[in-house]
Amino acid sequence: MKNHLKSDKGPFGSVVGANKPIGQGFYRLSLGFEGPGAEAFAKTQPGQFVQLDLADTSLPPLKTIPEGLRDAAGRKILLRRPFSFSDVTVEKNKTSVSILYGVVGPASLRMTTLTAGDLVSVIGPLGNGFQMPKGKKHALLIAGGMGAGPLEYLAKVLTADFPKINPVAFAGAKTAKALPFEGRLDAISQQLGFSLAEFAKYGVKSLVATDNGSIGFAGTVTDCLSQWLDESDLPGRDTILYGCGPEAMLAKVARIADARKIDCQVSMERHMACGTGLCQSCAVECKVAGSSETVYKMCCTDGPVFDSREVVFRL
Amino acid sequence: MTETTDISVDFAGIRLVNPVFTASGTCGYADELADFTDINALGGLITKSITLKPRKGNAPPRTVETDSGMLNAIGLANIGLANFIEEKLPVIEQLTTKVFVNVAGETIDEYVAVIERLSAEKAIAGFELNISCPNVKKGGITFGTEPVLVGEITSAAKKAAGEKILMVKLSPAVTDISVIARAAIHAGADALSMVNTFTAMVIDIETRRPILANKTGGLSGPAIKPIAVYLVNKVYNEVARDRGIPILGLGGIRNASDAIEFMIAGATAIGIGTANFIEPGCTEKIIEGIKEYCAHNNTGIKELIGSLKTDSTGPD
Repeated sequence: MKNHLKSDKGPFGSVVGANKPIGQGFYRLSLGFEGPGAEAFAKTQPGQFVQLDLADTSLPPLKTIPEGLRDAAGRKILLRRPFSFSDVTVEKNKTSVSILYGVVGPASLRMTTLTAGDLVSVIGPLGNGFQMPKGKKHALLIAGGMGAGPLEYLAKVLTADFPKINPVAFAGAKTAKALPFEGRLDAISQQLGFSLAEFAKYGVKSLVATDNGSIGFAGTVTDCLSQWLDESDLPGRDTILYGCGPEAMLAKVARIADARKIDCQVSMERHMACGTGLCQSCAVECKVAGSSETVYKMCCTDGPVFDSREVVFRL
Repeated sequence: MTETTDISVDFAGIRLVNPVFTASGTCGYADELADFTDINALGGLITKSITLKPRKGNAPPRTVETDSGMLNAIGLANIGLANFIEEKLPVIEQLTTKVFVNVAGETIDEYVAVIERLSAEKAIAGFELNISCPNVKKGGITFGTEPVLVGEITSAAKKAAGEKILMVKLSPAVTDISVIARAAIHAGADALSMVNTFTAMVIDIETRRPILANKTGGLSGPAIKPIAVYLVNKVYNEVARDRGIPILGLGGIRNASDAIEFMIAGATAIGIGTANFIEPGCTEKIIEGIKEYCAHNNTGIKELIGSLKTDSTGPD
């Protein structure tokens, strides 16, 4: 039996440091922890997540709510919402976590009204993050839309703890406006370079793809990845892929990895009620080795990061 | 003052240190909530449904949030009886709280097989019979909505349970819940738990498809609380009180005030479900809040049960 001590997963009280809009419907929220919360979050792995209680957070003024969200906006929310981290910083007795989020529904809409000093109840860190790339030389980080968040944090950890690894980031979205990054996005070239500040600050080069070709590579991020792999001719056994983004994108990343015999980890997303393994909502269908059977694993406690060979993607 | 306030209750012949349970399907099989709360501080715990064989459960999405509630269609995903005995029973044996095993199945034989196997286990206080599973024999009519079937399954389950407490979990999806309650008690139920979730649907208007892969799911959470309070009071007045059968009240309880409302309506104990997903330590606050209410109002916990004041005898 587990000894019931004070929980190392919270709920912890956190204080909003900043909540900064970074373009079309994207924000970066930073939450500060002290005491046991600071201790718990100091050990966070990239790919883990938190559950935020946003039920008591106010809505923004009606006129500022995008028309497509107005009906949903008035819905009273009940459950916590899961978010992964784009950064974690530890200073003495204080830990700060950053969350990259987009406005997609009634909870994230409420989240935009949080301001410095507000209190937010947080459960976490939850789940299993990305496994570190032992024995690899190249780590390719493939982000679709807001999937960039946890990969930014992964880039930080890889460069800090694995100096022999050469990470490269691939970030894609439908259009330039749908890229969750700051800075002069219109100046992004089609070449590998330090064009995304979010990765460049860790010395990690990036390639950007937009489906409509408005900037960077014209096409999907997975096509961009395939082409780059063709040109670079990296040995599969020395390389690892890390994917975070829409499921269709992750399925393509998994296929690319499979075809080229490259290890690959994907961060899955599911509707969650609890995030702690109690509700059994967030089922991810997984293959069983040596069998045609499949089982449902839980995104929250078995994942959210899975080996891509294990997952049966929903397409 | 609340430190010494006694809120223990007698529940079908056993003493609970307090009337607060965690509800089936919201607290795992044993000590899964121990990261967040002291399991042994609970009056009781009801495990996730156990079936004879492991069940994979439904495809996702399995849950969706609604106004002040949520739908779930997990599909009785569980590890099955053998794994439960091997992996979870040893953990339950270490607990001092009263553990009830929620039992589900597709046939009466399956229910009986699970209960028979577990009825000799000292660590188990009793069983909660889940008779609102939609995947059962007899042309899809659920066990929980046909009084004759309720009687048959309860009687078979009670025989298998022997000395253990048999609690029957009632579905609200019936014309008159008192008829079902009466059938269960007549067939040997020692206690009733009510209510299970309400069958419901949420549609995505863009795709015009149900959000849940199972199409429908069970609605839980604060949205159902007033209906559940009404149904508890109805069964208490019409069936349970005179027969001395305790009711475990369930449905959208989030805090001590909600819990007390159910007890005033007639519940001897209460279960916390959906709220565990949001505040996994909420039961501690609820237990403390009930103590405070009793101390503040100078009332014993037993005087609270069924203490609703009305001009008539019930909401007929």
